[in-house]
Amino acid sequence: MTRAAEETRQPVRVRRRVVPVRHYGRGALAVLAAAVVALIIYGFAGNPNIEWPVVGDYLFHADILEGLLRTLEMTALGMVFSLIGATIVALMRMSPSRVISGIAAGYIFVFRGIPLILLLVFVGNVGLFVDRITIGIPFTGLHVFSEPSSAVLTPFVASVIGLSLAGSGYMAEIVRAGLLAIGRGQRDAAKALGLNSLRTTRYVVLPQALRVIVPPMGNELISMLKATAIVSVIGGGDLLTIAQAISGANYRTIELLLVAAVWYFVVIAVLTVGQHYLERRIAER
Amino acid sequence: MSTPMVSIEGVDKSFGHKQILFGVDLTVEAGETVCLIGPSGCGKSTLLRCVNNLEEIDGGRILVDGSLVGYREHDGKLYELRENAACAQRTRVGMVFQHFNLFPHMTALQNITFAPLRVLREDKAAAREHAHELLGQVGLADKADAYPSQLSGGQQQRVAIARALAMRPKLMLFDEPTSALDPELVGEVLAVMRGLAGSGMTMIVVTHEMGFAREVAQRVAFMDGGRIVEQGTPEAVLGNPRNERSRAFLSAVLQ
Repeated sequence: MTRAAEETRQPVRVRRRVVPVRHYGRGALAVLAAAVVALIIYGFAGNPNIEWPVVGDYLFHADILEGLLRTLEMTALGMVFSLIGATIVALMRMSPSRVISGIAAGYIFVFRGIPLILLLVFVGNVGLFVDRITIGIPFTGLHVFSEPSSAVLTPFVASVIGLSLAGSGYMAEIVRAGLLAIGRGQRDAAKALGLNSLRTTRYVVLPQALRVIVPPMGNELISMLKATAIVSVIGGGDLLTIAQAISGANYRTIELLLVAAVWYFVVIAVLTVGQHYLERRIAER
Repeated sequence: MSTPMVSIEGVDKSFGHKQILFGVDLTVEAGETVCLIGPSGCGKSTLLRCVNNLEEIDGGRILVDGSLVGYREHDGKLYELRENAACAQRTRVGMVFQHFNLFPHMTALQNITFAPLRVLREDKAAAREHAHELLGQVGLADKADAYPSQLSGGQQQRVAIARALAMRPKLMLFDEPTSALDPELVGEVLAVMRGLAGSGMTMIVVTHEMGFAREVAQRVAFMDGGRIVEQGTPEAVLGNPRNERSRAFLSAVLQ
């Protein structure tokens, strides 16, 4: 290489000042948005008609805490039963038998299609058309369990049943999507090793499907928590029911709604953090 | 003469209205390595899957080690086997897939010990020991705790071979074991298979590796359009094919 050629290859090193594009519109919009948020907060915080000390008084009121506990119990039970039901329905939906698969499809159609509030009122009022709930052999009179409907279906039990029916209908489709995400090669490999379909599902397909299923299930858990508020229509004893009962007596409607809202936010914040860590752990492997 | 390890007799197979196999006959003696070659879609992989009862056959019959695959013969009728009996049959046959199909949520060791523990109910310590031995055999003694995602394609396929061998199969089926590998990783997998053939394992290998077929196979069968159109020693089939289709295929592949 000649000397002249080498010289022309030398990069010219001159420092130039970089002037970024100014986003004037973006800045103006940010100021405007911040102003709106500030106004909303001021509207609540500085509103003379909202007595914030009352919110503080009731935040840790024994009845409110009991309602919160009920809400958490319902969420947990509803979620557990929904997951079990969803897994069963999803597996049925994928059955080679058209009857079994059709029944599962019908289940999903019915319980996804009914508004939760209707379902809850319906389950809560089963006593209106079924006098006794009996477990036994039909038409023989033999039974292991028989109680009046009203004694079995307390508002709490009815709430958990309603939440579980609706939840399992929704979650069955999530579980099914997770199961379908596992390729045929995995089933082939398990089969070739001599595993039957039950073991293949249990040890090969489900553990892998879980990775696909967990993130949307976190959202379902949060939805379930919020859905428990709807059981107040059958007096489920949850946080919102209690808050409304108290405000019915002292006329502090807005204050008690705010008490309930604060608790829902707290629980959802905790769940969101938990979901974040769970997803990260799953992604690690 | 002893009974052959595999005898495929007049096997037909269709998917819906599309017939894939037309009266295929093939016999594999114990200890023999047979390579199945032929163009894509000619039915090689389907035939292999039928031998392991991963696909049901529509006509003819397949015997592995003297017993019917997937059926029980009684009073001149064939009764389809119940699932658990069919599963028990598959434990005698090891299978290696094009895309390895390792279980991604298990380590290499867990992949290998999984079926011996769950299906054969082997003792845990014994299964682990056997697995370590097999990992040594495929040259991956130090990868026992690696997950499949941490292994190269060639390493994954070698773990898959070890997984199949863990069931102490009498027959090994290889479905294009090197087709999904980067070229520089093919050799390590073929070396393991060569060793296995040398140790007396009966093997049916669907492959496009003509060098491997020439060197390791006792017999090569060329398939086209769902039929075996030519079979014989590697020298005869690969060196001097008589059938027009195999001649065209081989000249295209070998150049």
